[in-house]
Amino acid sequence: MFQSIDEVIERFGEQNYVCSRAIATVVYLSIHLKKPILVEGPAGVGKTELAKVLAATLGHKLLRLQCYEGLDEAKALYEWEYAKQMLYTQILKDKIGETLRGATTLKEAVERISAEEDVFFSDRFILSRPLLEAITSDRPSVLLIDEIDKSDPEFEAFLLEVLSDFQVSVPELGTIRAKHIPGVVLTSNNAREMSDALKRRCLHLYIDFPPLEQELRIVRLKVPGIQQELAEEVVAAVQAVRKLDLKKLPSISETLDWARALLLLNVQSLEEPLVQETLSTILKYEGDIRKGQDELRDFVAKQKAKAKTKTPPAEADEELLH
Amino acid sequence: MDERLIEFSNLLRQNGVRVSVAEDLDSLAAVRVLGLRNREALKSGLRATMVKRAVDVPVFDELFDLYFSGVQQLLKAAEERSQEATGLDPAEFQRLLEKLEKLLAEQGKDLSDLAKEWLRNDNARIEQRVREALEQARVGEFERPSQEGQFTHGMASAFGLADVLRQIEEFRDLLGALGLDPETAERLQRYLESRLRDLAQLMKQVVRQELEKRDLTRRESQRLEALSEKSFFYLSEDEIRRMKEAVTKLAQRLKNVIAIKRKRAKRGKFDVKDTFRKNLQYGGVPFRIQFDDKRKDKPQIVILCDVSDSVRNVSRFMLQFVYSLQDLYSRVRSFIFVGDTGEITRLFEENDIHDAIELALRSDIINVFAHSDFGRAFKMFHRDYITAVNKRTTVIVLGDARNNYNLPNEWTLRDIRLRAKQLIWLNPESKMTWGFGDSEMERYRPYCDVVEECRNLNQLYRVIDRLVAQ
Repeated sequence: MFQSIDEVIERFGEQNYVCSRAIATVVYLSIHLKKPILVEGPAGVGKTELAKVLAATLGHKLLRLQCYEGLDEAKALYEWEYAKQMLYTQILKDKIGETLRGATTLKEAVERISAEEDVFFSDRFILSRPLLEAITSDRPSVLLIDEIDKSDPEFEAFLLEVLSDFQVSVPELGTIRAKHIPGVVLTSNNAREMSDALKRRCLHLYIDFPPLEQELRIVRLKVPGIQQELAEEVVAAVQAVRKLDLKKLPSISETLDWARALLLLNVQSLEEPLVQETLSTILKYEGDIRKGQDELRDFVAKQKAKAKTKTPPAEADEELLH
Repeated sequence: MDERLIEFSNLLRQNGVRVSVAEDLDSLAAVRVLGLRNREALKSGLRATMVKRAVDVPVFDELFDLYFSGVQQLLKAAEERSQEATGLDPAEFQRLLEKLEKLLAEQGKDLSDLAKEWLRNDNARIEQRVREALEQARVGEFERPSQEGQFTHGMASAFGLADVLRQIEEFRDLLGALGLDPETAERLQRYLESRLRDLAQLMKQVVRQELEKRDLTRRESQRLEALSEKSFFYLSEDEIRRMKEAVTKLAQRLKNVIAIKRKRAKRGKFDVKDTFRKNLQYGGVPFRIQFDDKRKDKPQIVILCDVSDSVRNVSRFMLQFVYSLQDLYSRVRSFIFVGDTGEITRLFEENDIHDAIELALRSDIINVFAHSDFGRAFKMFHRDYITAVNKRTTVIVLGDARNNYNLPNEWTLRDIRLRAKQLIWLNPESKMTWGFGDSEMERYRPYCDVVEECRNLNQLYRVIDRLVAQ
């Protein structure tokens, strides 16, 4: 449990997750109000990471449910293992015969078998999927429902039931109530608008691309060994590129990739040919790359001009004199 | 605090943010957890519980600032002005206030509490009194800007403005007659003058602020209205973004249709052969039932866009629609036609939206200055590109069906429809004119699944909504 919002920031920081106050407040609230968080925002701003870090800081198990088109209850909640049940029945044929021995009428035989029903319908034959696991788990857990927008509307409706009461009914076994209410994080890339009913049950968190200083801190944290100047240039360049009208804007993870690539190439500062060559780490479409190239050419030129004005001209003159 | 939160959520509703009662309760719970000390935390907490759509966030932010610190800001500004009026620095100003405090104790017995609070700059108490006055004057029922004067009046009388002003004026005269040292007297006079002026102004400012709070929606909706009804000669960033949204909605609809179809197929088709094969391992006992493979269909779209002179003023809009559609889906083939038909899929793939539309409207691909001839264009499409249409394809025709009395060749459209999954015709002309003059809309209509009028974003939205509702 977190005692304060600052504690959230601090402990997330220990897990190498730079989080803004707004994010920390929502996390803090969700823990105290026991409400799911619905995280929206462009791809690659750390939505999934938020859930992972939350689980790590709390020391809870992370259960992940990746949504996709066609995901149904059987894949999300539980599946009944008919084959296993059948196998058991086959193997225990003799035992069943024993139970039935002496039964004179069909009715009596049925009575006897149904007295043993519990054996056939027990959680032994249930294959739990993430949702059921989160509910039945003995230890508290964090449930990550990733890319909920990719799932079908029917699945969303089903999820509502689980998220509001934290109980599910399995026809074969009855209603199962949660032992611990799991922390729930849902992420969405806004491929479609989620239903109001789902939104109402969640705290809503919109994570956008981070501002310059925050992204710089992330780069410094995640790419150890990078020079301050290079980090600044990389982040400033990415932020400039994000202002363009692109098919896909570079995300934080792509900034990190680029920084790592440049570090690997032993680059001190952004230089013209190299920028063009490594641009494919942050831009993934042909058209985007072309636009990005133009923008970054200007950017590098401007950086150079700035660097020149920084070095006092007097020094240069002195060098000439020597 | 509870009442204030409820009032705030009402305000959000008035500004078009949907806040349910359950969310009200959540926000109250959040405030209880977070406390009121930390403004930023309060703001994030309320935002997380009350605002569930990213588009509503700016409205919330603006309203929050206005609502939770609007009056306070006015009071601060007034305080600063009064300090400026005395021409003193903060420390000296503080000493002056201390002197005033003494004078208030000695001479101010005729002053009401409110007047004293105002002279002391007791902003917290004043704010509370302003709120009470707002409630008494029922400023919450504000509906039209023309009511501004009326409410200002109501506020002033609820606040007891006239009395307070009179008391402070008397106090000022009293001090003037007291014979203080000239410099202090001078500064005190200036301070009191400034306070008097600001107090008179305060009512007006507060009411104006209330008006602003309630006016946000109207401004916003007016802006959107203007945008939607505007013709599409010029495309701004915002318009492109909204166009993308509309197209996404349409795309979702196409996807849903396929999903439903697939579900039906799944329900109906039981695969006997496969069931036997799968169950051999259980000794032929069929307890694992096999169904037909669910095939995943990706929507395929073929779009035919008329760029002739008669639809000149909307062809940009239609091409923008085509471009957005192609941007979203990998399997879109786009064609333009006037008298001939030409494919622009590559062109749109390789250029950004503005260039792409310019290029399409130049007559490099087809002669765009010819007379439109739907019959000929369809026939050409049928001859050259019919392979682009199969039973998974949705064909969208954008055009006015004004054929210049040429041969309509309906059979081509019928043939296209027979091969396609569905055929949607969006006509930029008003419904009233369909079938009149050289319009062949009625002749083509029998072969279309959907025919709609569509000239601007608003209509496109409506069309999509209707499609979704079906």
